[in-house]
Amino acid sequence: MTIKPPGTASEAASAARRRPRRSIPAGRKLRRAGWLMVAPALAHTILWIAIPVLATLVLSFTDYQVFRAPRWVALENYVELWNDDVFRKATWNTIVYTFFTVPVSMAVAVVIAVLLNQKLRGRTIYRAAFFLPQVTATVAIAMVWLWMYNPQYGLLNGLLSMVGVPRQIWLGDPSLALWSVIAVGIWQGIGMKMLIYLAALQNIDQNLYEAASIDGASKVQQFFSITLPMLKPATFFVFVISIIGAFQVFDQIYVLTDGGPANATTMMTYEVYRSAFQNFRMGMACAQSVVLFAFLIVLTVINRRLTGGDEK
Amino acid sequence: MKKETRRVKASLAAGAAAFSLVLVACGGTDNGSEARGDANSGDSEVSGDITLLTPIYEGNEGKQLLEEELLPQFYEQYPEVTVTVDYTNFGSLNEKLTTAVASGLVPDVMMMGVGWIEAFASNGVLADLGEHGVTIDELSGDFTPEILEGGVWEGDLYAVPIMLDTRFGIARKDILAEAGFTEPPGSFEELREYAIALTERSDSGELERAGFDLLSMDLRQMYEVFLFANGGSLFNDDYTEPAFNSPEGVEALQFLVDLVQEDEVEDIGFSSTDIDVHPLLNGRAAMAVGHNNLWIQLQEAAPELADELMPFSITGTQPGMFFGGTLATVSSGSSHPEAAMALVEFLAGEEAALAANEQRGNVPARTALLDSEYVQSNPLVQFAMENLDVAQREGGVPQWLEIRGDFTPAVESALLGQKTAQEALDDLADGARAAMDR
Repeated sequence: MTIKPPGTASEAASAARRRPRRSIPAGRKLRRAGWLMVAPALAHTILWIAIPVLATLVLSFTDYQVFRAPRWVALENYVELWNDDVFRKATWNTIVYTFFTVPVSMAVAVVIAVLLNQKLRGRTIYRAAFFLPQVTATVAIAMVWLWMYNPQYGLLNGLLSMVGVPRQIWLGDPSLALWSVIAVGIWQGIGMKMLIYLAALQNIDQNLYEAASIDGASKVQQFFSITLPMLKPATFFVFVISIIGAFQVFDQIYVLTDGGPANATTMMTYEVYRSAFQNFRMGMACAQSVVLFAFLIVLTVINRRLTGGDEK
Repeated sequence: MKKETRRVKASLAAGAAAFSLVLVACGGTDNGSEARGDANSGDSEVSGDITLLTPIYEGNEGKQLLEEELLPQFYEQYPEVTVTVDYTNFGSLNEKLTTAVASGLVPDVMMMGVGWIEAFASNGVLADLGEHGVTIDELSGDFTPEILEGGVWEGDLYAVPIMLDTRFGIARKDILAEAGFTEPPGSFEELREYAIALTERSDSGELERAGFDLLSMDLRQMYEVFLFANGGSLFNDDYTEPAFNSPEGVEALQFLVDLVQEDEVEDIGFSSTDIDVHPLLNGRAAMAVGHNNLWIQLQEAAPELADELMPFSITGTQPGMFFGGTLATVSSGSSHPEAAMALVEFLAGEEAALAANEQRGNVPARTALLDSEYVQSNPLVQFAMENLDVAQREGGVPQWLEIRGDFTPAVESALLGQKTAQEALDDLADGARAAMDR
């Protein structure tokens, strides 16, 4: 048996360099660093999104009335919802509200964004003015609209009376109430959409417009052939958040109409609120939330297919 | 949330407590909180940090009353108790209670409305006050049976009434006199006759004055006044079936529908529950179903009309009046039930209850307060107190909080002509039955 004499430090170092690593330190370190970096977001997602969503799903199959422990009822809540005229009305109202507020406010927002993307004097003020409803509390906005809609001394009836149109009961007439709420929704939703479109417009390569001009394209042609196609990713994003926002409309209804008259303006979220906090039926509220969630998922997928939202 | 902390030094507090104990022993008043202090044979024995959830004592004035006047008195009597107050209003009370129950952080003392006790008592959230020495028999001398019943569930007392919110007919004497009426309507037919005669429209047909205003009042409560006046009730005697769709109930709703649709004594949209000034006060209505606290609004907005408001019972087959109110309860899970009980008794006691009623313009629940200066100086409150024997409450079943939410849309659908009175009430009864069967 021979004993090797100890080598010098430089020999040892070079031996260490030659020796193959027992693992993949670089990859592992990278992965570890990656996990560490996403850990807060992951923890947040699991704690505040995944678990509540899962809990909502599970509770939707129970009769949970706050006071007592949840009791498993399988699909009973969903069957009841299917036969519930008020929830059906709320679903229809939500669809109508979404159908009108989202496209109209998107169309208006894109036009305003294009206008405010021009070199106008005081455009910063205009931009702020259009964005203001977005950052103002909905309750405050709704109070102002309540005054405007007041049948006796409201601004709208005042204007109508100047042109001889009879007084309207904007929020008290079932045939007008939903449209009145929709008008508020459109007005309030323009600001955020405009801002997103404005940011997207500023990323469009100006050479495209120059080239189009040289080719003789008019401004309208440029808008439809360059601007709108280039806004496609922004449009997908705006559409998705608008749909989600519209389906979750609550504050306006809560302050303006309380879902009335005769449930003419009740919405899915308002029914969730009523089930949970007025009727103490958390299980039913969860089932309604799951239905709402399903609507949003389906609409998002459809939209993704239609607008090619997966394109980069 | 405002934390109220006791600032009295222990020795002073003990002295004050002893002094108040002597006063109680000698005074022999029927103030509950004082009696309770006596029963504990030493207020300093009652201790603990407790929470109070209250939908009354609203706004700056209410907060000032509670924190600067009432609670200091309570602390004098109970120096070892600390009260943390959680303010809310009736609109948000359900949300507060729901989250409190769900999270297991139920306040020690909760104030609730009439019709709420059943739901919370039947589910074990509230303490049986009888177990803490306050019994129905003990209180029956201080409250009318109907009012006391608002705090009772299955024969046990769970809440002590503090104040009542009553609804009854109110007429403008001067406007009635213009049409030659000197007395308020004494029957449904007279009410219709008066309302038609007192309705005023412009040449273009626009309503300028409603003969009878239905729309400034919550439609559920409005309907209940007429239901009770027509001899109807919300549920059958043993509270197992809805009874509001009985012939009496349908007739009451049909009467309201006819007032709007046929007699056109008020147009939909003419008024609403969120109006700033009640139409009786600005002459836009000749008669209405009003709340007793209209007197406070009158004093602020139109004091010159003080002699012109004339309260009256809506009378069909019998005089009808609706009452809701606020009751104080103790959580069954309270860690300091004695302290919580002491606070309930203090706040429901004559002095504190009178102050709270005065601040809100409400009707004291204790019959002894009829002779108080406040009641005697407020004609609407006085009228309500003098007619409490005909007043009826809502609730009675644990599912009432769920059922009541469907009332307003149902009444609206009838008033708007979307459903007949019978259909609207039958649909409502179906929903109520389903809730009661769950």
